[in-house]
Amino acid sequence: MGNQGRILAIGPTDNTSDQRTPRQRLRLIPEEARSSFVPVVPARYATTPHEWDMTRTAPDRPRADGVPIEVTGRVRTASGRPVAGALLEVWSANHYGRYRHIEDHSGLQLDENHLGLGRVLTDDEGCYRFWAISPGAYLARPDIGRWRPKHIHMSLSGGSSRLITQMYFPGEPNNATDPMAILMGDAFERNIGRPREVGTADVVQAFDFDIVVGGRNATFFE
Amino acid sequence: MTDPASNLLPATNEDTCGPYFPIFFADPGLEDLTKFDPGVVGQAAGTSLVLRGRVLDRHGELANGVVMEFWQANANGVYRTPATEGHADIDPWFHGYGRLRSATGAYEFRTILPGAAEGRAPNITITIFSDGINRVVTQMFFDNQPGNEADPLLLAVGDDAPKLIARHDGRTSSGAEVYVFDIVMAGDGETPFFDDLES
Ligand SMILES: [Fe+3]
Repeated sequence: MGNQGRILAIGPTDNTSDQRTPRQRLRLIPEEARSSFVPVVPARYATTPHEWDMTRTAPDRPRADGVPIEVTGRVRTASGRPVAGALLEVWSANHYGRYRHIEDHSGLQLDENHLGLGRVLTDDEGCYRFWAISPGAYLARPDIGRWRPKHIHMSLSGGSSRLITQMYFPGEPNNATDPMAILMGDAFERNIGRPREVGTADVVQAFDFDIVVGGRNATFFE
Repeated sequence: MTDPASNLLPATNEDTCGPYFPIFFADPGLEDLTKFDPGVVGQAAGTSLVLRGRVLDRHGELANGVVMEFWQANANGVYRTPATEGHADIDPWFHGYGRLRSATGAYEFRTILPGAAEGRAPNITITIFSDGINRVVTQMFFDNQPGNEADPLLLAVGDDAPKLIARHDGRTSSGAEVYVFDIVMAGDGETPFFDDLES
């Protein structure tokens, strides 16, 4: 840890990254201002009981197309403390690589049984669980033929912990060429779900994805 | 943070939120902090204000699909954190955390003018998530506030201080003072951003 702020890297061949990544070195926060940079998200979360099951749009609806998976994990701070009662917001594309988002103009196939939006809370041990459809990879940049590998977006907030990240899948052909993965380098491995034994007949694959919220943000109030 | 304590767990990498942060997750109660919750009797103390602005990219174009988060002290200058639990100056109708998602990159956030925390000028911490980038953070101040000239963060950015100061646009909107604050993500006129991992 030097006494200079970081220079943020630009994702290779990524238009928005080029347009939006600050070019100046990040400034260091003076000691007297440090605590003011640690938002504390109030516990005012909205979830509905079935949102943990993203494989269908409602309990009485059929399963969406594709491979149903279970994702479980534990959320901790870098010092190992479980992050309990945090909100995990999850979004992912359907089996065909399409988001049910009004701004997804890819034209890929929608699935009437797939919403791809879910919210769960971590329990007292920081553990979470949800079901999803294994998302399709999608062609993010048709102009240069670049695909985004299969991934599930996750936003975590609770207390002073805050993280937006993505879970990737092991052995995917597009992992190596993904601009965000390239920026992560060897640390990309931490963002790959670990396959594990499936414990229920209701899903076909299961993954563990433990999340560690790093940096001062998570630890300032510990 | 000079101690690279080796017993720390390696952090999960932050990643871009991409272009499709779900509008479904929007929470109107977090877009207007002057009311504690829509439809509930309970008004945050302090001067109501509307904060308006644009998030711009390197070419001066609106950065579409941004998620913005706001964090501020109440009118008494007290943040609602675990450390201030039970503090006499906590406002029961104000928690200080806001979030919105703007499709276009233009935003409007309703809140109250924060009080000055000890040793600080009134400010709002702003976190931005968008396609192509990981989280970036900055802090916004208000023009003509006593304390701006002595604020340690404004002093630390030197000549760039004006880029962190919202200006009153001379109007009120439904009784709220209107402030304007644009954020330039990159390039000419780039807003100073801060490193909360290394400092
Ligand atoms: Fe995506």
